[in-house]
Amino acid sequence: MLLRILSAEFLKIRRKWLWVLVVAGPLGVVALQGVNFGLRYDYLVRGKQPGEVWDALIGDVSMLAMPALLMGLAIVASMSAGIEHQMNAWKLTLALPVSKRQVFAGKFVLTALLLLVSSALLVPLSAAFGLTLGLGGGSIPWSDLLTDAFYPYLASMPFIALQAWLSVTMANQAVPLTVGIIGMIVSLFAGARFPDWVPYKWPQLAVSANDPLYAVAAGVAFGIVVFAVGLTEFVRKDVK
Amino acid sequence: MASDTILETKDLTKRLGGKKVVDGVNLAIGRGDIYGFLGPNGAGKTTTIRMLLGLAKPTDGSIRVFGKDIRKERIAILRKVGSLVEYPSYYGHLTAVENLEAIRRLLGVPKARIDEVLSIVRLTKDANRAVKGFSLGMKQRLGIATALLGDPELLVLDEPTNGLDPAGIQEIRELIKSLPGKSGVTILISSHLLSEVEQMATRVGIISKGKLIYEDSIQRLRDQAKGRIRLSVSEPEAAWRTLLSHGHSVGWENGVLTASQTDNRTVAGIVAQLVKADYEVYRVEEESASLESIFLEMTGTEGSL
Ligand SMILES: Nc1ncnc2c1ncn2[C@@H]1O[C@H](COP(=O)(O)OP(=O)(O)OP(=O)(O)O)[C@@H](O)[C@H]1O
Ligand SMILES: [Mg+2]
Repeated sequence: MLLRILSAEFLKIRRKWLWVLVVAGPLGVVALQGVNFGLRYDYLVRGKQPGEVWDALIGDVSMLAMPALLMGLAIVASMSAGIEHQMNAWKLTLALPVSKRQVFAGKFVLTALLLLVSSALLVPLSAAFGLTLGLGGGSIPWSDLLTDAFYPYLASMPFIALQAWLSVTMANQAVPLTVGIIGMIVSLFAGARFPDWVPYKWPQLAVSANDPLYAVAAGVAFGIVVFAVGLTEFVRKDVK
Repeated sequence: MASDTILETKDLTKRLGGKKVVDGVNLAIGRGDIYGFLGPNGAGKTTTIRMLLGLAKPTDGSIRVFGKDIRKERIAILRKVGSLVEYPSYYGHLTAVENLEAIRRLLGVPKARIDEVLSIVRLTKDANRAVKGFSLGMKQRLGIATALLGDPELLVLDEPTNGLDPAGIQEIRELIKSLPGKSGVTILISSHLLSEVEQMATRVGIISKGKLIYEDSIQRLRDQAKGRIRLSVSEPEAAWRTLLSHGHSVGWENGVLTASQTDNRTVAGIVAQLVKADYEVYRVEEESASLESIFLEMTGTEGSL
């Protein structure tokens, strides 16, 4: 059933800007670093070992990718819920023989999948960027590229769940979007100020901590909790 | 529950904002009925329908559809129900076909159903246009097509002609009238206008301020709508006194005589008496009390509509 719901969801986002956003996000992040490296080529690249350059490149990309991810997940969640809010299609969908849980799960999974695509795109885009800098194909540090793309994504799971929930439950998208923007700003400044247990710090810990898997595991676990709370509220509430 | 009752509510109640918006409603709809669910604006029609579809939970009371409890077997029930609630919901950026396809994927019915329902509501020509460019009537028809997609046994239509012009209303009415013949569905259709469902309903329920105040066949309602005879005569007041003094029960209002007994003998007797007493009889007309006026009387909203 969830598969049927998802196939309907993917149909419904046709001709929306969602796909453009999903591609434009990682593309924009890598392009901005392209400008950065282009302007400071002498300082960042010339005369350096390929390993050093890759490290800087991956670090800089993920530094930009993190706020983009936190902002992007709020926008993607809002847009995919907005499809239903716009012409109040909730009453249409929920009067069909589908379970409310799965309808909610469908919206969450759609949002999570789209962001997964965005995050995954960072890998080939960063690799291609490195190659254009003249770094040899053999020197590509695939495992760093992969962890820097997917660990922050997994550590962001609580926010994906939160934004999916808020966007679905509120007809006025100003509130979830504001929460998303504030969340992004908080996470930007979370660095030294917050203790490690604050979820806003997890996406960052997922690339910088000695043992990033704690942040990743905590993100996934807390994400499931937020999802479950949202699901319960959605199922209990009357449809507008 | 009688074997042919397919929808039944018991003391259905919904409290919203501290007010009983639906108050102890007992509905009974039989298989094959076209049930007109009538009530003025704000009477609680939509709220009732939302509960019937499992969109809202009753504060009190129970709902059984196809003999099943909506709280326990919502999905099994909804598999055989098609609905259109309040105003049509649609995805404006998608075409009519894509809208139906999105729903079809959830229902899991064959793809061929899409063309079938589009032709039933005569949207085949516009099937590949974005729905946001549709007229209200077309959106309404698409809503009905969506409701028909799963080949339902029970069709629930909440004010399907709301906001349409007379031609649009007529079109939807013809469409709905043609449905039971084609597929044998039972239809629950709500409206705030009796005239709108009068020609197609077999049963009516009238709801006012959350309470079901009438439920019976449309024929019973018609029987209550007996007419009266209006007579315009010269010197109406004197004529009225003359008739009364001869034992005819007539009324007198705005210079016109009225008789509520309309059988031939009574009318003939009154006219003969008037002629005998040398009054000039200008007109003898039958005035049939419209169902509308009965409806207004029952719902106590006379003059406010
Ligand atoms: N969420 C709510 N909170 C409080 N009152 C509500 C709420 N929703 C509806 N009502 C009230 O419930 C009453 C019934 O509303 P409902 O929409 O069921 O009426 P209706 O018969 O469908 O009317 P209409 O012909 O205008 O569609 C109205 O008086 C409305 O103000
Ligand atoms: Mg209504």
